[in-house]
Amino acid sequence: MLDLLFNITDWLRTTFLLDFAFWITETPLSLFMVENFWNVPLAQVVHIVSIAAAFASLLMLTLRVHGKAGMSLPVSDVASRYMPWIWWGLLGIVISGLLMITAEPIRNMVNSVFWIKMGILVVTVLITLGFQRSVRGKALAGGAAYVPSGSTKATGLLLVVLWLLIMLAGRWIAYVPV
Amino acid sequence: MMYPEPTNIWESIEYSSLGIGIAESLWAFPMIESLHVMALVTVFGTVLIMDLRLIGLASTNVPVSTMSSDTLKWTWIGFVIAAITGTLLFISKASTYMVNPYFLTKMGLMAAAGLNMLIFHFLTYKSVADWDSSAALPKGAKMAGILSIVFWLIIVFCGRAIGFTLGIYY
Repeated sequence: MLDLLFNITDWLRTTFLLDFAFWITETPLSLFMVENFWNVPLAQVVHIVSIAAAFASLLMLTLRVHGKAGMSLPVSDVASRYMPWIWWGLLGIVISGLLMITAEPIRNMVNSVFWIKMGILVVTVLITLGFQRSVRGKALAGGAAYVPSGSTKATGLLLVVLWLLIMLAGRWIAYVPV
Repeated sequence: MMYPEPTNIWESIEYSSLGIGIAESLWAFPMIESLHVMALVTVFGTVLIMDLRLIGLASTNVPVSTMSSDTLKWTWIGFVIAAITGTLLFISKASTYMVNPYFLTKMGLMAAAGLNMLIFHFLTYKSVADWDSSAALPKGAKMAGILSIVFWLIIVFCGRAIGFTLGIYY
């Protein structure tokens, strides 16, 4: 596993990403991010708080789909409460994440774990779109009689696991040698 | 590898076999830290949902007591995991953490957040039957929600600041 990660990073080093990353370090935004000691930690705080908002919203919505929380409201109402927080949370994650990449482009872009994380993130977003169709569209059409299907329940759980994997990869970006 | 003779309790903790084991391992600290992150976002996220209800900014159609029982379980699960993993991280660098002002501030604010929660639970919450389903809650409940968000935001900041200031303080 470790060898594979090293090999991927070695390969990344031979692509345009290396030159691109070096180019980013010269941009005004990158210089701004690194010249104040607190800019990177503050971007990370925004990143963590956005993850918290999105992840807890997903958790509550998934619990509702499984009939384990929020039972005072229909699934479609619970989805209307939490789906926007997942998407706005994601926006905060992406903006703060882009700032963190801009601050340390080499450590991030020439890093196998970073690209694994990006891969899982894209898959997660796509699955979230499908999940949203079920808990919002289908739930609304089904009315009070709507009961989430087994696959909708499984999708919610899968999304929770994917978010945990994204967090795991996110922390390991800082520890794999590049 | 040789370690110096401990001169205080924090160094004794740090140079314990557990402390050395975590510090010397290539994967232990990052792995425990990853679990810490997963746990703390669960704590902060569920606390935020409850706080926004108390302030009256979200989920105003859900009774406060329902919101509390829906979120609190997960807040506690997350908190217990964050506390265990946090303790393990602390053990591996105890003497460095104990002189770090951000770590000490973080511990103080966690106590303050806990006190805020206790005051809400044992005083403000006594009259919950009168306002459980109201959109706008009594001042005490609103205040508890606002204070909680502020405390936890600064706690997250301090947590991140610790990682950036290790070794700066002696």
